[in-house]
Amino acid sequence: MENKETYWSENIRIISICLAIWFVVSFGFGLILVEPLNAIHLGGYKLGFWFAQQGAIYAFLVLIFWYGHKMNELDKKYDEGNK
Amino acid sequence: MNKHMKVAFMVAPFLAILGYVGADFYNENQAAKTKIIQLVPEGHCDIINQSCVLKSGEFKVNVSDEGGVTEVNSTFPLDSATLFLVDKDNNMTAYPLGMQKSPYYWRSNTQLRSLVSNKGDSYKLRLIAKIKGGQYISEFYTQTTK
Repeated sequence: MENKETYWSENIRIISICLAIWFVVSFGFGLILVEPLNAIHLGGYKLGFWFAQQGAIYAFLVLIFWYGHKMNELDKKYDEGNK
Repeated sequence: MNKHMKVAFMVAPFLAILGYVGADFYNENQAAKTKIIQLVPEGHCDIINQSCVLKSGEFKVNVSDEGGVTEVNSTFPLDSATLFLVDKDNNMTAYPLGMQKSPYYWRSNTQLRSLVSNKGDSYKLRLIAKIKGGQYISEFYTQTTK
């Protein structure tokens, strides 16, 4: 029972980190901080514009794989704990 | 691909849609706020010889005069445009411009041509161009070069 609760709280922590990064990358970099970021250029594109158009999607893909990896680790940790 | 990855791939499109809706909502709120942005002349301004462009970012306004009719042509549609002729004592004469064909073209008969008809003549003008969510303002001089 205790194991289930700690597993769930660790799961929630990983999801919270993912959602925080999702918010910072999509709303933070793509909208709220777009003007200051646009002062920086990346491969000819303004950085704020790039985040809104492409960067956020790349970050989302990385997040998916990172989440999968972290959850795998969590599963292994708790599977071993149950054995 | 483990079950967590599958879940993440299924959830991601919903978060993307949520982000799209949120961004639209945020942009709409920002656009509703009235902003005042200054336009600056791009190079030398000579309205009589059709060479006067005011600029702020991607927004450009071309001011020209032909036969005493002063015309403003902008890159974005305007809600209204008013041109002011400012004399040496800083007294202004306002000319609310009327829309022509489309909200990109605004014009009015003005006294400008008679005031700067000779080479070297210059005159101070002000422009207020209203656009959804903002006002573009400018104070500039036109000088006839030929």
